[in-house]
Amino acid sequence: MSEDETALSEREEIEMLLPWYVGGSLDATDRDRVERYLAHHPEVRRQLDLIREERHETILANEALPTPSAVALERLMASLPVRRSGLLERLLASESYRAIAELFAPPTPRAVRYAAYAVACLLLVQSLAIAALLVEGNGGGYQTAAGKDGGEGLSFFVGFTDTASTADLTRLLQEFDARIVDGPKPGGIYQVKVRIGDHSPVAADALQRRLAERRDVVRLVLPAKE
Amino acid sequence: MNEKAHDAQLMARIAAQDQAALRGLYARHQARVFRFLLRLVRQEAIAEELTNEVFLAAWRNAGTFEGKASTATWLLSIAHHRAVSTLRRRREESWNEEEAAEIADAKDSPELELQKTDKAAILRRCLEQLSPEHREVIDLVYYHEMSIGAVSSIVGIPESTVKTRMFYARKRMSELLQRAGVDRGWP
Repeated sequence: MSEDETALSEREEIEMLLPWYVGGSLDATDRDRVERYLAHHPEVRRQLDLIREERHETILANEALPTPSAVALERLMASLPVRRSGLLERLLASESYRAIAELFAPPTPRAVRYAAYAVACLLLVQSLAIAALLVEGNGGGYQTAAGKDGGEGLSFFVGFTDTASTADLTRLLQEFDARIVDGPKPGGIYQVKVRIGDHSPVAADALQRRLAERRDVVRLVLPAKE
Repeated sequence: MNEKAHDAQLMARIAAQDQAALRGLYARHQARVFRFLLRLVRQEAIAEELTNEVFLAAWRNAGTFEGKASTATWLLSIAHHRAVSTLRRRREESWNEEEAAEIADAKDSPELELQKTDKAAILRRCLEQLSPEHREVIDLVYYHEMSIGAVSSIVGIPESTVKTRMFYARKRMSELLQRAGVDRGWP
């Protein structure tokens, strides 16, 4: 290799480093090497101006470009996959977790409305079921006190409130001149016979309404039909 | 807190699935990543889609980020590979610079013809006429201010190749300038 070729090769090596020298990102060894070469070959310094010119125009060309649209970030966030640990993933995917999560989840207004309907329907079904059971057992119609136990009066199936005390029940029975003749039946229902001479349906209805008005003690009252 | 430490903190939080941290990283680097991609794929819709893919990859792989390279280098490395895959798949743009130059020439408008009289405009136009390979290395060094090692990491080529690629990109630009009537006296 001739001396000229060696010199050219070294010059090319230095020229290759100049873009990073201008940008200030050369490591200390290469930076010193470039500076030593430039000190002995000032004609190469002219290249630094060309590089600054290229650099300036490259920056302008890039800065003139737009940035991503405003919705791009939201699309990115919406596309994120959920990553969980193995055990946690299995737990969260399990039916038990979903059931528990639903149990503790705050109810929505629609859920509350449906729940109210469901409770109302349940009460209605329960009342009808109890009535059906009792009617089936007694053949329908009002049962006179004499009908079953030989005494006079009207029979009702009565459910008492959970808060009613024995003293409350005693006072109610005394007030209506009644006594418990059977029970408790399924649903906590008792058969109560009220001593009364008038066995007409009107009298029976009036008596049932009066019993039902005692909501502090009576939660349910149904006619015990023959 | 310096830029690198801030990025490192964001990456650690992203590794822990912190979505707010991903928003932070996006805010800091989206312009850089998008512009880098746009210069390669030349279509905004594709560049935007690829930008989201880059940040999605960051979300998925933040746990593997060791912090040896800067976060910007890491993101641009992902972006480079996405862009190359897309270009190869779509075959919309060749990596052959002559072909790229022909495409650019075919798009000349009267406005561009007028700009040919302005040296700075001619230089920018010559930058556009470079092959994607050469344009990429010029952008990485001049605009993104990447070191030789960082460019090597992003493009996936040896450092010696980074230096020669930059050198030949500049030589090619001088040739294009000379063709446009601007003699820079180099090489």
